[in-house]
Amino acid sequence: MAETTTVAIQAAPRRGRPRDVVAFAAAAILAVICLGCIFAPVLAPYDPTELSPNRFAGPGWAHLLGTDELGRDLLSRIMYAGRTTIEIAGGATLVAMLLGLLWGLGAAFARGVVDDILMRLADVTMAVPQMLLALVFVAGFGASPVKLAVIVGVLLTPVTARMIRSAVLAEKAADYYLSAVACGMTRRRLVITEILPNVWAPVGVQAAINVASAVILEASLSFIGLGIQDPDISWGLLVQWGYQKLSRSLGYVAFPALAILITIWMLNLLADQLGRTDGRRSS
Amino acid sequence: MILRRLAVSVVMLTAVSALIFVVLRLLPGDPVITRLGATPGISPATIAQLRKDAGLDDPIVVQYLSWMGGVLHGDFGRSYFNQYSVTQLIGQRLPTTIELTILSMIIAVVLAVPAALLTARRPGGVLDRALTTLSSAGMALPNFIVGVLLIVIFAVKWSVLPSRGFIPIGESLGGNLRSMLLPSLTLAIAAAPLLLRFLRASLLEVLTAPFIRTARGKGASDARVLLLHAFRNALIPAVTMLGLIVGYTLGGAVIIEYIFGLPGLGSLAVDSVTKRDYAVLQSCVLLISAMFILTTLVVDIVTGILDPRLRTGRGRG
Repeated sequence: MAETTTVAIQAAPRRGRPRDVVAFAAAAILAVICLGCIFAPVLAPYDPTELSPNRFAGPGWAHLLGTDELGRDLLSRIMYAGRTTIEIAGGATLVAMLLGLLWGLGAAFARGVVDDILMRLADVTMAVPQMLLALVFVAGFGASPVKLAVIVGVLLTPVTARMIRSAVLAEKAADYYLSAVACGMTRRRLVITEILPNVWAPVGVQAAINVASAVILEASLSFIGLGIQDPDISWGLLVQWGYQKLSRSLGYVAFPALAILITIWMLNLLADQLGRTDGRRSS
Repeated sequence: MILRRLAVSVVMLTAVSALIFVVLRLLPGDPVITRLGATPGISPATIAQLRKDAGLDDPIVVQYLSWMGGVLHGDFGRSYFNQYSVTQLIGQRLPTTIELTILSMIIAVVLAVPAALLTARRPGGVLDRALTTLSSAGMALPNFIVGVLLIVIFAVKWSVLPSRGFIPIGESLGGNLRSMLLPSLTLAIAAAPLLLRFLRASLLEVLTAPFIRTARGKGASDARVLLLHAFRNALIPAVTMLGLIVGYTLGGAVIIEYIFGLPGLGSLAVDSVTKRDYAVLQSCVLLISAMFILTTLVVDIVTGILDPRLRTGRGRG
């Protein structure tokens, strides 16, 4: 983590390549975390449910990050828990991007009353703090991993739709778009060949932000006991359990929290860098 | 302009209340069954009677109107779980949430404003880079992790502040502030970076304005230019941002109240989800959203007063 900090500090004010280094480093760290979790069954040093008499062990060679209250290997548990977190964050982002794209494109192309209605609807949902809306949905639907992914995805949709609408409107004002319209392209072709290839950067930024928000929302819900339930595990749930055993072991709460932290920080960095690349292109 | 803005807020609130209500009613799960739990030997007739008493058999529009009618008279209905008056439950919890929000906003402003002024003095300098990096790290920290971190440091390691438990303001002002300090600090750590970033950007923009050059040309010192000329003008967009930040903070309060065991609206909402007490949940969510909408309204009015240009701008839009 220390490495990336220094890179970020040096890179921020300069132009050109160093930024790509930051983006690359962030992407690489995220890739390591993702792959580590996805391939947990192959890579994890232990079975995440394997008990051992070695309880609340500190970090060491036998257990790199120590063990929990039942002597289970913490690193393995974090890797397996990460799978749930990735599933939910990925699923939620997919839902949010798809719905947001439809919503945003619909509003941008409809204009007039339909646009007004769609955007006021977004305003209304955004007037309820996300966490509270999450509570309302979880209260009704429950919180299996799939449901959580859909709920979180729906929660992230209005913001996404707004962003996509404004990106699309900006492209629609550009000369190249007008000339494409003048060429008599159908609306579908306009969207696919003209708009979408040109809004990928802001859409990418939004996707990165959505993944980060989804990780936070899922972790927060699981932490207060309304998200992922035992025997499933997620990072947020591990932090909760570690928090309850705070007096016995600091690592139990610290390492899952660190996993969440690094993931979100890297996603933020990546979104920042992507956003700047986009800014350079349009200016 | 204020009237128009007021009307928008009222429409917004109505729409939000309808949204919350519809979502909660369309969802599966019967609150009456939940309330009875696994109690054996309850006849279907009793259940039907309870449903009727709770008004759950009425058409959804009637249910909504009776809820809203009550809310307008300050009556939020009764808890499905234990028949307590929701108004009373909420009344006990509301002051804590308001206090928490105000305290965290004060701490956030106290942290962010000097930091923003320092960064804007020498953009790209060591201090600027350090604070910018720190703020991006602060933004990456989810609320509950900050809370846990502060508890580990201040309550477990140093034992200088309480980790849980709440002392009402009526009992002891000092004790109350002590119990509120860590939770407010937690929320402020999330809010301050946003405010800092925004204020810094807004300061840097103002600093390029011609009137700043004029002030410099007239021989004003750097500090004078920054504090008296730039800061005042950079404040207006930052105040707008503050409205949004209050929204985030209210959302964060849900988690923070839970972690620190504060009896606020947020922890009440979490409780009511566990108990499936929709009557309490819907009113909690509505009230917190209302606080958010009200803040944005006040912020808009205040910025309109501070900067008359914004008034005409809004009139046209």
